[in-house]
Amino acid sequence: MSYKLQKKVVIFSFLLVPVGLMLFFLLYPTAQLFRYSFTNWDGFSPSLKYIGFDNYTKLLFDFPDAWRAIRNNGLYFVIHTLFIPIELIAAVLLNRAMRGSGFFRFTVLMPYIINGIAVAYMFSYIYNPINGPLNESLRALGLGSWITGWLSDLGVVNYALIAVSIWRFGGVHVILMLAGLQSIPKDLYEAAEIDGASFWQQLRHITLPGIRTTMEIVLFMNVTGALLQYDIPYVMTGGGPGTASSTFGLFSLQTAFTYNNYGLASSMAVSLLILIIVFSSLQNWIIKDRSEA
Amino acid sequence: MELATAAPNNRRWLGSAVYYVFFAVMAVLVFVPILLVLFGSFKTNAELADTSPFSWPANLLNFDNYVTAYKEGNMLRGLTNTAILVAASMAGNAVLGTMTAYIVNRFDFRLKKAILALFMLAMMIPSYTTEIARFQLIHGMNLYNTLYGPLLIYVGTDIMQIYIYTQFLRKISEQLDESAMLDGASYFRIFRSIVFPLLLPATATLAILKSVAIMNDIYVQMLYMPSKKLATLPTALMSFVGDRTSDLTALCAGIVLVLLPSALIYILFQRLIFKGLMDGAIKG
Repeated sequence: MSYKLQKKVVIFSFLLVPVGLMLFFLLYPTAQLFRYSFTNWDGFSPSLKYIGFDNYTKLLFDFPDAWRAIRNNGLYFVIHTLFIPIELIAAVLLNRAMRGSGFFRFTVLMPYIINGIAVAYMFSYIYNPINGPLNESLRALGLGSWITGWLSDLGVVNYALIAVSIWRFGGVHVILMLAGLQSIPKDLYEAAEIDGASFWQQLRHITLPGIRTTMEIVLFMNVTGALLQYDIPYVMTGGGPGTASSTFGLFSLQTAFTYNNYGLASSMAVSLLILIIVFSSLQNWIIKDRSEA
Repeated sequence: MELATAAPNNRRWLGSAVYYVFFAVMAVLVFVPILLVLFGSFKTNAELADTSPFSWPANLLNFDNYVTAYKEGNMLRGLTNTAILVAASMAGNAVLGTMTAYIVNRFDFRLKKAILALFMLAMMIPSYTTEIARFQLIHGMNLYNTLYGPLLIYVGTDIMQIYIYTQFLRKISEQLDESAMLDGASYFRIFRSIVFPLLLPATATLAILKSVAIMNDIYVQMLYMPSKKLATLPTALMSFVGDRTSDLTALCAGIVLVLLPSALIYILFQRLIFKGLMDGAIKG
């Protein structure tokens, strides 16, 4: 077989399956999602009716539960973002060669790798209202008045869940930032030292620009993680009490499969998709390298 | 003179102190919850109610809770199904990912731009958001309540994988391909004997990260495989907890059983996991 013919065969046969799968399982459902979002479909009837932007209007103006859910996502995002400076400090510390740094690196990443569902149940046990370890420790510390139903108190439940999310995902941010720090050539610092640059000048002109790519990834993970968060509330509270700790992703799932409102759920999923793309582009624009401009 | 040397020493000492206090606190926060669950898993329910959760279990050989969790929690079936999903997705991803990267990186052809654009578009879509529509598709294909549904999703929608393979292949010189062509090797042969083996290190890291992702996923598994026969480790734990909400010690044992395989993988493959995450973080 000539290379010319071979080339055609190989391109076609190698791409057929992966491109087919992508079109069929990713792009086609996405298109369908947009279509469903303009209908009143219930998920099983043979017929569906196009109702224009009604689902989106309802979502925007007449759906307080969905707004509460997205506010919870916002809370995940804000608190996770507040932790980023602490994670950066951890990464800077971890970047030093110290006795035990291998063990600490191992410890930092472990919560991200071990099974997330088991972790969620583990914290259900920690938060247990009767004899739960958290309440027991508070009592031992003389903080008995702080004891509360961590997963049943409306004002507390979201923070209790977000703490679990920080526990699970804080470490992977640290490791990614560490990778960024390690990619900065050491001689840059040595040269700066010789030129008499202060610690802050080094931070401003070497470290921060050096970890920009990594920070983009961390921030992207932060946004998508916060917006797509569903499994911690799903496992630990089922979104309750009521819908107090639901997130947008979890709520859209329930709207589709529990309340059989496929059209509305699709419009929620489309909104989520758009939100993720908008927010992550916005963040990248904010920390974009403008030095050449 | 003495002061001048003492100051940096003091600072170094302070630096170490900050370092160790910081990470000691962190290690406590990470390990204590796990330890508490481990304690709970060896206690009887009466013991759990009477003693402090921080107290050492009276009988460390009390495996009753593990027996309960293992038998009634369907854990063996969960482990088997999880293992099948992980292994099959790893294999599928490795084959399809390297094939796609080979074509995209080594060949120029009509429609290449269009196909690359499609991949870029697909990469922007977070897979979970489209699940509602994909559910109908899987249902329509009669793949609901089979292992094939999740498998197709894990293999077919992971565009990131293709992207990373392409990045790796870019760094592998084409000279080997060219000299093999001078010897008359076919493109299939070049792929099989040169490209695929050279991508094996990338495959190892991607496979381990993929297996962690699959073991942590419930969305796809609970949506498409609600049948008890198709329980995976996390979904088995979920139904076990649902069945016996008040049996806390058995819950603790179930948690430990589900944590164990992932912890084992972490301990065995730490190097690969760190390498995979850290390489990905700086290439972008």
